[in-house]
Amino acid sequence: MRPLGFAILVSWLSVARPCAATPAPRADTVVVFTAASLALPFRVALDSFARRTGTVVHQENGASLELARRITDLHRVPDVIALADQEVFPQLLVPRATAWYVRFARNRMVVAYTARSTAATRMTAADWHHTLLRSDVRVGRSDPKLAPVGYRTLLLYRLAEAHYRQPGLAARLERRTPPSLLRANASELVALLQAGELDYIVDYESLARANRLRFVRLPSEIDLGDPALASWYARASVRVVRRTDATTYSGAPIVYAASVPRGAPHPAAGARFLAYLLSPAGQAVLRAQAVDALAIPRFVGDSVPAALHPSKR
Amino acid sequence: MRGRGAHRAAATAVVVGSLILLTLLALPIVALLLRGGAAGLAQLGADRELRGALALTAQTATLATLITVALGTPLAWLLARERMPGGAVVGALLDLPLLIPHPVAGMALLLAFGRASPAGAALAQVGLAIVGSRTGIVLAMLFVAAPLYVSAAREAIARVDERYESVARTLGDSPTRAAWRVTRPLAGRGLLAAAVVMWARAVSEFGAIVILTYNPKVASVLSYDRFTGEGLDAALPVAAVLVILAVVPLLVLRSLRGTAALGEPAR
Repeated sequence: MRPLGFAILVSWLSVARPCAATPAPRADTVVVFTAASLALPFRVALDSFARRTGTVVHQENGASLELARRITDLHRVPDVIALADQEVFPQLLVPRATAWYVRFARNRMVVAYTARSTAATRMTAADWHHTLLRSDVRVGRSDPKLAPVGYRTLLLYRLAEAHYRQPGLAARLERRTPPSLLRANASELVALLQAGELDYIVDYESLARANRLRFVRLPSEIDLGDPALASWYARASVRVVRRTDATTYSGAPIVYAASVPRGAPHPAAGARFLAYLLSPAGQAVLRAQAVDALAIPRFVGDSVPAALHPSKR
Repeated sequence: MRGRGAHRAAATAVVVGSLILLTLLALPIVALLLRGGAAGLAQLGADRELRGALALTAQTATLATLITVALGTPLAWLLARERMPGGAVVGALLDLPLLIPHPVAGMALLLAFGRASPAGAALAQVGLAIVGSRTGIVLAMLFVAAPLYVSAAREAIARVDERYESVARTLGDSPTRAAWRVTRPLAGRGLLAAAVVMWARAVSEFGAIVILTYNPKVASVLSYDRFTGEGLDAALPVAAVLVILAVVPLLVLRSLRGTAALGEPAR
């Protein structure tokens, strides 16, 4: 190495050396797996929790199904897992990975776009489907095999077909997204939309708000956002065929759920964070981040930690 | 006696150190092959998606490597012979793609060559899109792996004594012709080794590719896809069979390195 390069390296190393002189006191730690669509709201909630309690927080984001697989297949267990679809709990996690989960928030599907999207000025809630069917716009959606937002988009299309009484509408909307414009999860779609690669995406309202995207609110009969319409939503179903199996998903209101899994390395800290998240203060943080927190969280299953008991919160 | 003892201690340290590193590197591969190898090979016959992903991976990685060899070898020569203004700066900049986390590299490529960018608009004019296309896969592989080729090729060329080129020039060759006729064959084995490393790196790329091109799926994306959708036991065979099949070209190329077939004069 030349002398100049060596001098630069040495000076850089002396600057970049971490300050290890004063080790931090051992702090409580909480590791949280969050669905991609919850990444930002949970970041804010975790920061707020860390400030209040001095807990060290670690967050890992991914597609809901992928996060569940990390626990069931890779045996990487967090202290809290928060998923975009409560159905993933009974499908993959209960009873082996956890005995219970709590429904804590709801969301709805929207069609998001940006100011430079083709036909953006003509986009309205009344005829969003006409815009999506235009041949000059590029529509993105998530892979139904990998992410709840993916099969929910297909359910939305089927509900739209029934709601607008337009036979064949769902299939035509589905065909507007070729395989090349499918993505693994909701966040990657947002990135492609922001980069101008897509004109419209079907995604969660919370993500659209958090990323300051333009979006149209769809009729509640099709946006999977109203618990009172559960039986109407259930009319729609979609069969997702994987290589070795097939799953039929029925329409249901979008509900987020969380749990402290069995074998969590810091179960007490995990329960404390969830208790904070379900408290009025935690709900206020979520609502400020456009997550529609449920006023009364609903527990499913048994062996719920005592710290989460309503009387203790 | 003390000298011999020190020698023996040093020899032991060399062997132990090598064994530790080899174990660290080999154990995960062995675990992968034990858990997924047989299933992967058995699956090859029936699993069209897997065969398609493997073929796509091999094609795109080979194309990215060929493009890089064609464009990167002259660049490596310019850098090695210091015939480029600001060559030291260019050399340092060439390492930057290696520093960028791969999903971020995918986003950077999207900003630079996506259809909303001037370059992307020009590419679209000639029918090339980087999102959801083979072009995107090749571009991502090239971005993350080409610096490895150029860096190693520069070293290979620098090891060839420049005086050989000078002799050719006194015999009437132009500088580029001298480099082509004299240095290229002498550096051949080093250039091949550089291309092998680049190819292997390109085959394994995931982060940048998945941002640009989720479909059609290369083997790394298919492996992730299977893990998420079906679990570990569906993902491991994909990765294992990729390793098993990639070993063949790697072994062939590495053994070529050991011969004088590439124009290296016999000693």
